[in-house]
Amino acid sequence: MADFIRNPVVRLPDPDPEPHFSSDELNFTSDEKDRISAWVRQYPTSDGAVMWTLWLAQEKFGFLPPEVLQLVATELGLPYAQVYGVATFYTQYYKEKKGAFVLDVCTCFSCQFTGGYDILAYLEEKLKVKRGHTSPCGRFTVQEAECLGACGSAPMMQVNNGPYAHHLTPEKIDTLIQAMETGQPLPFVSITLPQDEDEMGDNRRSDADAIESYQTPPQSKRTQ
Amino acid sequence: MTKAGDWKSYQRVLLPPVKNLHHLNIYRDQGGYEALRRVLSEKSPQDVIGEMKRSGLRGRGGAGFPTGLKWSFMPPVDPDKPRYLCCNADESEPGTFKDRQLMEYNPHLLFEGILIACYAMSMRACYLYVRGEYASWITLMEQELSKAYEAKLVGENMMGTQQHMDIIIHKGAGAYICGEETSLMESLEGKRAYPRIKPPFPAQSGIWGAPTTINNVETLACAPLIMERGGGWFAGIGAEKNPGPLLYGISGHVNRPGVYEYPTGMLITDLLEIAGGMRGGKKLKALVPGGASVPVLRADMIDGVTMDIESLKESGSMLGTAGMLFLDEDTDMVAFLRRVARFYHHESCGQCTPCREGTGWMENLITRIDDGEGNLRDLDLLLDLCDQMEGRTVCALADAAAWPVRNTINRFRDDFERRCRPSSWAVNA
Repeated sequence: MADFIRNPVVRLPDPDPEPHFSSDELNFTSDEKDRISAWVRQYPTSDGAVMWTLWLAQEKFGFLPPEVLQLVATELGLPYAQVYGVATFYTQYYKEKKGAFVLDVCTCFSCQFTGGYDILAYLEEKLKVKRGHTSPCGRFTVQEAECLGACGSAPMMQVNNGPYAHHLTPEKIDTLIQAMETGQPLPFVSITLPQDEDEMGDNRRSDADAIESYQTPPQSKRTQ
Repeated sequence: MTKAGDWKSYQRVLLPPVKNLHHLNIYRDQGGYEALRRVLSEKSPQDVIGEMKRSGLRGRGGAGFPTGLKWSFMPPVDPDKPRYLCCNADESEPGTFKDRQLMEYNPHLLFEGILIACYAMSMRACYLYVRGEYASWITLMEQELSKAYEAKLVGENMMGTQQHMDIIIHKGAGAYICGEETSLMESLEGKRAYPRIKPPFPAQSGIWGAPTTINNVETLACAPLIMERGGGWFAGIGAEKNPGPLLYGISGHVNRPGVYEYPTGMLITDLLEIAGGMRGGKKLKALVPGGASVPVLRADMIDGVTMDIESLKESGSMLGTAGMLFLDEDTDMVAFLRRVARFYHHESCGQCTPCREGTGWMENLITRIDDGEGNLRDLDLLLDLCDQMEGRTVCALADAAAWPVRNTINRFRDDFERRCRPSSWAVNA
């Protein structure tokens, strides 16, 4: 056998990986099926609903191993390859298991020059974890993210693909981490526009309660 | 007098100073959805498009294409063929955060704009493609949208007419490339978001092969204002060739970063003053006037330059998304460019070789210079690489990566040369 076949330059994914979930767990409840069919109805073909369904699956299972992708493909009547292609294209779909809290620290240029990397380094030190990895306790994954669209309140991070934490400082991070460790959900924080501050004193949205339903816990309650 | 006119007494219209404007009842108290009602009962679709053309509105997503003209490109109505509107809320350009503020504070203005656009182009559905990171804002908008449905402002027999229009929110999952209109359509169709070759343009063959128009959030939010106050009013605001209100997203080393609404054609120096000046009293070194893709301006290049498409083009940059990044004198431009290159390398979709490989080489070369191991000839290699990438790919991502690299090196050549080792090879060996 040629050497490059035994030692490929690009490592291909394992064709037959050990499944993370048993076949009993791999199903959608009737409520979830209703949500999926409501999404399917919004598009001319069921292809359109694949992104919403993958989000739902990630919310339920925590991440998207091949057997979950197969479940999504079966549910929508799509080829596995298509679902696999979509799931691997987008960065927010997790292909491997993450910590209970995924901290996406923005380091794109607006954050870079206002201390984004300092925040990232502080988190790495505090949680004893390297960027892109999960902490030894399994609770926190720290990641470097591309621009999250909150340049005016840099440096900032996103927690569990949900709420943003703005204007970060080491002290603020200490408070946030402590709150997360005690299981409090991160609230939605609205940033007042500078002109609003001048003309009205303050103007914020604080409908925090409503936000929780779309937080995507990267680890389902069952596996925690 | 600048192009922006008397900007000090400017009254905000996109983000007006009204508390809790995101509530449907407060929005309606402010005269919300009246423009839509009048359009539905009094105006023909042609009138609406004519008014949009008169307003001179140019797209706010970065390319600056005249909106009225874009709307008029839709083919004649074929009752057997669906047509779609797409609202591009996949705001991923680094330095840009204006659409998020609009969706947070004034979502109904966006919905109203979408419905006016749907009426003007005889469409029955709009897909609102929001980037996946904005999950919180998707939830907030879903709440408001469901209230609008309950109040019969959207959906079947909307506002007591025979019209039926739907707004469908689609959640992305973190890919910069989805902001490109053809890859946004691929993404909506449930595929990997690879950009398509144009032609056919979306107006001929868009999502699921149906005629489609794609507009930015801020562009659509201007539509109700134009219908309410007339195209002439809109055309009279700000710069003559690029009129209207504009959301400036100011970030970086300034005292008061944030989104500011002013007319187009504001002097950059005025905007810097509005944002509280440079942090710590430092001097300005560089300015990115419109998101990561546009060429960087040196501090000595901004005198008298105004924030509109023409003036910025003359000065050697572009308006882009008006997401302005101010950088002070201590900024390391090599580190800046390294991060920009890293961004494009990460976000290249991998469809076209010049971009997939080129952005990677860009990052490698700039990293080498940043680490102090670069040679002077690496700079020329980088510039050559830019030439090899530009205009050779399906979409403009390769161009968007090449422009900042080429211009940052050319405009801050000293900074780069200082970090490079002289070439150890003789030139004429």
